[in-house]
Amino acid sequence: MTFQDSLCKLLSAFLLCFVIAGCSDSTSSSTVNQKDFNKIYPPANGGTMIDAMTGEPSGLIAMIAGESAASAIASNIFNSLLKYDRNLDLTGELAESWEISKDKKTITFHLKPGLKWADNQSLTSEDVLFTWQKVTDENTRTPYGSDFKLVVKAETPDPSTFKVTYDAPYAPALDTWAGLHILPKHLLKDQDINTTAFSRKPVGSHYYQLVSWKNGQYLKLTRNPNATQGQARIDSLLSRIIPDKAAQFLELSADNIDSMGLNPIQYARIFPARPELNKNIALYKELGNNYTYLGFNLKRKPFDDIRVRQAINYAIDKQEIIDGVLLGLGEPVASPYKPGTRWSNPALKSYPYDPAKAKALLKDAGFIDSNGDGILEKDGKPFAFEILTNQNKEREMTGVLIQRRLREIGIDANIRVLEWASFLGRFIKPKEFDVVVLGWSLSLDPDQYSIWHSSQQAPGQFNFISYSNPRVDKLLEAGRLELDPDKRMKIYHEFSKILLEDSPIVYLSAGYGLSAIHKRVQGISNPAPPAGIGYNTYEWYIPKVYARHEINEQ
Amino acid sequence: MKKLLANPLVLIGAFIIISILLLALIAPLIAPYDPEAIDVKAILLAPSSMHWMGTDGLGRDVFSRMLYGARISLMVGFVAVGIATAIGIFLGAIAGYYRGWVDTVIMRSVDVMLSIPTFFLILAVIAFLTPSIWNIMIVIGLTSWMGVTRLVRAEFLSLRNREFVLAAQTLGAKDARLIFTHLLPNSLTPIIVSSILGIASAVLVESGLSFLGLGVQAPQASWGNILTDGKEYIQFAWWLSLFPGLAILITVLGYNLLGDGLRDAFNPRSSQL
Repeated sequence: MTFQDSLCKLLSAFLLCFVIAGCSDSTSSSTVNQKDFNKIYPPANGGTMIDAMTGEPSGLIAMIAGESAASAIASNIFNSLLKYDRNLDLTGELAESWEISKDKKTITFHLKPGLKWADNQSLTSEDVLFTWQKVTDENTRTPYGSDFKLVVKAETPDPSTFKVTYDAPYAPALDTWAGLHILPKHLLKDQDINTTAFSRKPVGSHYYQLVSWKNGQYLKLTRNPNATQGQARIDSLLSRIIPDKAAQFLELSADNIDSMGLNPIQYARIFPARPELNKNIALYKELGNNYTYLGFNLKRKPFDDIRVRQAINYAIDKQEIIDGVLLGLGEPVASPYKPGTRWSNPALKSYPYDPAKAKALLKDAGFIDSNGDGILEKDGKPFAFEILTNQNKEREMTGVLIQRRLREIGIDANIRVLEWASFLGRFIKPKEFDVVVLGWSLSLDPDQYSIWHSSQQAPGQFNFISYSNPRVDKLLEAGRLELDPDKRMKIYHEFSKILLEDSPIVYLSAGYGLSAIHKRVQGISNPAPPAGIGYNTYEWYIPKVYARHEINEQ
Repeated sequence: MKKLLANPLVLIGAFIIISILLLALIAPLIAPYDPEAIDVKAILLAPSSMHWMGTDGLGRDVFSRMLYGARISLMVGFVAVGIATAIGIFLGAIAGYYRGWVDTVIMRSVDVMLSIPTFFLILAVIAFLTPSIWNIMIVIGLTSWMGVTRLVRAEFLSLRNREFVLAAQTLGAKDARLIFTHLLPNSLTPIIVSSILGIASAVLVESGLSFLGLGVQAPQASWGNILTDGKEYIQFAWWLSLFPGLAILITVLGYNLLGDGLRDAFNPRSSQL
């Protein structure tokens, strides 16, 4: 390498750095509109809302496509029998009502009268039966079949009645029917559902229908005149495909999209620093249905000792993790359910940060610093272990914060960050770990049999921490059989209480889902109800004065 | 030596390397903060008089982390190259001195090793080991000895039949004596040059591994993992990417300048005298 070479490289590297550093300032100038968007107008029909998604759906039959991009679009096009309301209680969507038989094995759904598909054909219980047959068909490539295969008999006594019978009472059943999009039999009966062109030209019954789909660019939906749930207010929805979150943010700043999901940095740091964005864009936060935890391998010593687990729980400052990792955009959790929902036991509080209590518990369990090196020992062995996590920046930072707190009470913890596939294959499945930092995403049904029941410990099953408590097993079994929501709630409250005491995992935090929506879109519930801001998108509206004059579909 | 000092590139290179070595050595004395001290109230602060290079996603002082990171990056460079050079000299000397089938075996294994993309080999090996600074140094060392081997062998081949070697042999010198007191000292120059250039690439490999999360593990700082942390915030916290990026660039540049300059100075063919 000559000197000129070196100099050239040096200079170009400098230039690159400045270009990158300069990027953050170059976007503010492109805000097009100086309109004041802060005035609230009465609800009106019309307008187009543009949002962005990182991935393109592979098709719009959600049970086949499987990815979140597909279900996000498809849930505007297709109905289910049931849905969750703003408080996350089940209510009818296509079904007007439903009954559960005395033996709790049969559910009878009564469809609303006069239901129609977007192509004017009637929607009947035959369509529901057809969808059930498809989702349980061996030839259908869907991951969602197992719940529906528990149905031993499905019948349609008349066009508005659909009846399913289970082998044994199965409480999560209703939840599964809220997640199944009903498909039109008349268009799909002679088609291979895995490959049908229907998935790119769907005909549904919900608020919107697909009018155009430009590969790699956008999907456009307009109102369905036959919508079974009444008419939505916004005329059309345009979903642009923008794979890069940073590029989405630039488009949001330039008023080319109306909404996107944000990360904590964008929400808590970039927005407050850019007043011109706040003028036009409203921020929303809502609790997501997931939480981060530290889980112990209960098969390994000393984590089989409840005092050790509780001590570690007391030693971790959860608020510090929420402040440091989530920039304050999260909440502590004390049960494996979303705080504020009926399944979450409001009486439970997470373990406070109390290092003195932690030390006392460890001393009780036989851990003493006998050689004065600051690390506790038992039977001559120092208390040291490895915290495993996958390559996820937030979990890694969480691990660093925990490591420091544990060091303070005399525990020597190392962090090891692994790529996801080897993390699962080499450590989780064979249970070769001490402690993990991971997260659980939850369904809306409270059944967590697969995570906590002692029978679910085989390699590859979800109870990989090997938790086993006969009382919890009993409650989980009872919860699956109990169809009365209030009785079920009591069961799961009790279950959460035992779980918190046992401390097989340390609940760390539940992060908020963060989103930015342009203020031209009105009628959004803020603060978000338990179901999240998206529960009533059909009531959102764009006042005429705020509507875009032309839509840039590029 | 005069020629060495007359070459500005060598001086610049040496100056860069010595400064960084010094900074790394006295890091505990000059670092304003504990590099692992977390302060969740001071997350992602821009560079200021309090924090010269700002703070990272956990409120740690980037300047202090850079200083301690320098120790790691330089240590990885030296140890890895030390291992590679030791292996290279050993195998190259045997191949060049004994020739014959030993030479064939060693040189074909060099060819095999060279045909495998080194970085991916290292990635694969690290994926099976616990990523730690020691493993990384060893793995980098064990996968980068081939150049030195070829170099030493070539030197030995050309020196093997020179008069002073034949004279020593005639006087009854044993193989070991010939190799260590006659041949090796006369092949040192190219070895030194290639080692210095090797350090530069080892620093880069370590940064690359740490950037991919397979290198130095949190909370220990290395330039590579500071850079990874910065990737998340590049639109907002430029200081997390700029400073480690520059540090890697300048260090590698320094080693390359020094190595190139030494080579030019020691190369008899470039001699003007």
